[in-house]
Amino acid sequence: MKPHRRKRLGIILFIATALSFAVGLTLYALSQNIDLFYTPTQIAAGEVAVGQRIRVGGMVREGSYVAASDSLRVEFDATDFVNNVPIHYEGILPDLFREGQGVVVEGALDANGLFQASRVLAKHDENYMSPEVKAALEASGASPQNHSAMPEQ
Amino acid sequence: MWLWFSKLGSPKWFYELSGKWLPWLIAVMSLLLIIGIVWALLFVPPDYQQGNTIRIMYIHVPFASISLAFFPLMAVAGTITLVWRMKLADMVAKTAAPLGAWFTALALISGSIWGSDIWGTWWIWDGRLTSMLLQFFLLIGVISLRSALEDTEAASKACAVLSIVGCINVFVIKFSVDWWNTLHQPAGSFSLADDAPNPPEVWVPLVVMILAIYCFFAVSLILATRNEILVRERRAQWVEDLACNS
Repeated sequence: MKPHRRKRLGIILFIATALSFAVGLTLYALSQNIDLFYTPTQIAAGEVAVGQRIRVGGMVREGSYVAASDSLRVEFDATDFVNNVPIHYEGILPDLFREGQGVVVEGALDANGLFQASRVLAKHDENYMSPEVKAALEASGASPQNHSAMPEQ
Repeated sequence: MWLWFSKLGSPKWFYELSGKWLPWLIAVMSLLLIIGIVWALLFVPPDYQQGNTIRIMYIHVPFASISLAFFPLMAVAGTITLVWRMKLADMVAKTAAPLGAWFTALALISGSIWGSDIWGTWWIWDGRLTSMLLQFFLLIGVISLRSALEDTEAASKACAVLSIVGCINVFVIKFSVDWWNTLHQPAGSFSLADDAPNPPEVWVPLVVMILAIYCFFAVSLILATRNEILVRERRAQWVEDLACNS
């Protein structure tokens, strides 16, 4: 390679490396803000102020879902299997919503520690299969865990 | 190696060679597309929780996956332009940008339709969706930058630099679902193991569709590059001969 070309390639590689490093540091510093939702454990630790509009992510706790008979009002707990957040919501739930399913809920904590939700979104994992395969997996006890729908930490 | 490299850089040589490859590539693409679409739409079993909506995946994943290739492609072409001043590399970089914008837009739109049905929203500002939208705007930026500068050489250099910088975003898109919590699920795995989370009846047609869309990408890029070659080499003797003989 001719010297002037080697020099140009060197400059390009240097700029690319330096920029990647800068962007990497920026994203690392911002990682708290880039996260889409808070986990129930973060809320239990008091990281969120009352009335602050946030999203909570977790699984709908088994046995916690209660629907009113005369309105669209529902109550359920979002859980990360360590802590729970009780959620109150009035409105239409996504089709995928059920106990044990991942959800991302928008809203704010009220003074009683209840999460008043304005929107509920369903979160699903990256495992796709037919109902028959799912049933067979469950029967054999080898059902893949709902990994990604479960919040980390 | 160096001889081959400089030969590849000749627009005439590329035009002739790609002309020979194209019919084969189009045949393979058509075959894969027909098999893939029929398989995905008619024979893949409905998902246990998403039902028939899962079929959107067979369009969404191939487009999303190939749209991550554009910035690395443009960055490699841009580096060759900056260091070796190869004409063909700049032609490829120029034609790749609008194609990339289309592929990215299709990935965003198909994902949005999938999300509206399954998540319950068309859009959410999570790490994956936002970084993908950023890629779309970056590609629009590259296209605008090229047409904004009148000096062709300055334009190609500026676009090369922007393409190299834009590559960083590809890593952000790819790893956004691992670095941060998002509404978007992480990438699924393809495995033949018995207890694999995704059975082959789900992912084999997906691989067929991914290969089909990769071929579609190659065909589109080659066709567009051939046009660009003819436009830029319009004063060359071989283009004149080509026009007179056809």
